Amino acid sequence: MRRAVRFSVKPYLYLLPMLVFAVGFVYYPFAKTVAQSVSVVNFRGEITGFAGLENFRYLFSRREFSIAMQNTLKLMFINVPVTLTLTCLLAWFSNRRTFLSPVYETLLALPMTVSMPVITLIFKVLLNPSVGFVNYALGLDVGWYTDRHTAMAGILMLTVWMGIGFNYVLILNAFRGIPEDLMGCALLDGAGPLRMFFSIQLPLISPTLLYVVCTNMIQAMMTSGPVMILTQGGPSRSTTTLIYLMYTAGYRSANYSLAACVSLVAFALTFGFAAALFLLEERRVHYQ
Amino acid sequence: MRKILKGILGLLIGCLLMFPVFYGLAGAFKTPAEFIGWPPTVLPQSFANLSNFRAVFTQAPMLRYLLNSLITACLTSVVRLAMALLAAYAFAFFEFRGQKVLFFLLLGTMMLPADTLLITNYQTVSRLGLLDTYLGICIVSFVGASQMFMLRQRFLTSPTAVREAAQLDGCGDLRFIVSILAPMCWGTLVILFMQSFVAQWNTYLWPLMVTNTTLMRTVQVGITMLTTIEGTNYETILAGSAVAMVPAILLFVALRRSMNRTMAGGSTVG
Repeated sequence: MRRAVRFSVKPYLYLLPMLVFAVGFVYYPFAKTVAQSVSVVNFRGEITGFAGLENFRYLFSRREFSIAMQNTLKLMFINVPVTLTLTCLLAWFSNRRTFLSPVYETLLALPMTVSMPVITLIFKVLLNPSVGFVNYALGLDVGWYTDRHTAMAGILMLTVWMGIGFNYVLILNAFRGIPEDLMGCALLDGAGPLRMFFSIQLPLISPTLLYVVCTNMIQAMMTSGPVMILTQGGPSRSTTTLIYLMYTAGYRSANYSLAACVSLVAFALTFGFAAALFLLEERRVHYQ
Repeated sequence: MRKILKGILGLLIGCLLMFPVFYGLAGAFKTPAEFIGWPPTVLPQSFANLSNFRAVFTQAPMLRYLLNSLITACLTSVVRLAMALLAAYAFAFFEFRGQKVLFFLLLGTMMLPADTLLITNYQTVSRLGLLDTYLGICIVSFVGASQMFMLRQRFLTSPTAVREAAQLDGCGDLRFIVSILAPMCWGTLVILFMQSFVAQWNTYLWPLMVTNTTLMRTVQVGITMLTTIEGTNYETILAGSAVAMVPAILLFVALRRSMNRTMAGGSTVG
């Protein structure tokens, strides 16, 4: 799989620019977060003493934390497979061109140009239980973001929507990159469209799928913006995510060490999932 | 016949998906009474009601904000892609000690909520004397782990023979990247540029923090300024959002054809 040879300083050289900025603007500030998580921090964010793992013990003992954890995991485990299936289906559907291709390909990809606050605001208006268009048009009586049974579903609809455009474009691009002759051979062998999809197209686009799954997983684990705008974590904490908890229990209450603990936990979890995905890569992802 | 049906089905799905956006755009033409009226409507009574747009352009120097956003989004995306391209090249075509560690170190930058980094980054940028400059707005977004990751995936699927042939011809790394690899992955590069452009175009909190003169604000910051002046006025915000959305959509339409360009087949033939 991996090509190339002997020791060389070159790869490090090529990584250098990115590493410099990653250290300077991500890991250096992150180190401060790590320090805060094991310290006593005053309301101005200054470290005044060492706390060991006391902050973490306090965090784990809070009920909000386990709720936020469950919500975040639920969001991620639903969001990722739904987005993946939907975008794969859409890309598979639009792979073969028709006379309307330019139009609907553009329509399906355009969600990637819409910013999070804007689409969140629109969903808020559309799904308003009393004057919203969705309830009116479909004759529903659903509380959406005001009902604790449906609020999370509403957030999921929004996060899936936001992920569709970009992932669709990437997967479509991957589909179109499959060499024609490969498909032709399979066709000659009498493979049906389902067979073709699972034994030829899917393995060949698997590198892109790994990317899609991994980045969607990370984004889902980091969900906070829509929650902040739509539900403020409610009703009755049904949409409180880890990162949202970080804001409310942490920064907004000037409890910096708690915020640091939450972001560390989120980081560790996300990192663990990513590592697991890459173990899968070695067995399942097919590079030409 | 089947093709026509399929085309129409695609169109319907596309319209359904984009319905919220159409709804939002139409909302920008509504009057406040229409907006919360019953029964809710999709289309405004008349598209001639431009008062919301007038408000957008008179309440804030929106054109200047658009220009600022354009400059910062382009600068960020170009630098980001250039660095990601180099890094992805190293990961895909070399084998070296610490490869996995370094890869995960870079990937890890996506797993930290950006807001935990804001305060320290503000101090850094201020120490570098970059407050209220374009570079100050962009510099924290130069690391594009997502783009690096996708390019690595793309490079790993490119035929090995291409690089071997290039090396035999005595083609250096940089020349190989610029004149062979980049054109080969042009579609992916364009998609990533678009993604990066939109992400930077839409950032809000950081540009708000590091700019303090009106002339350096970006368009998303400008939109939220519309709220503070008149209270929360959805129609005006939607009009502002529509204005902010147009450049991104135009760029998208302009780049659409290149996004579809794949040259995987044929590159090793002949």
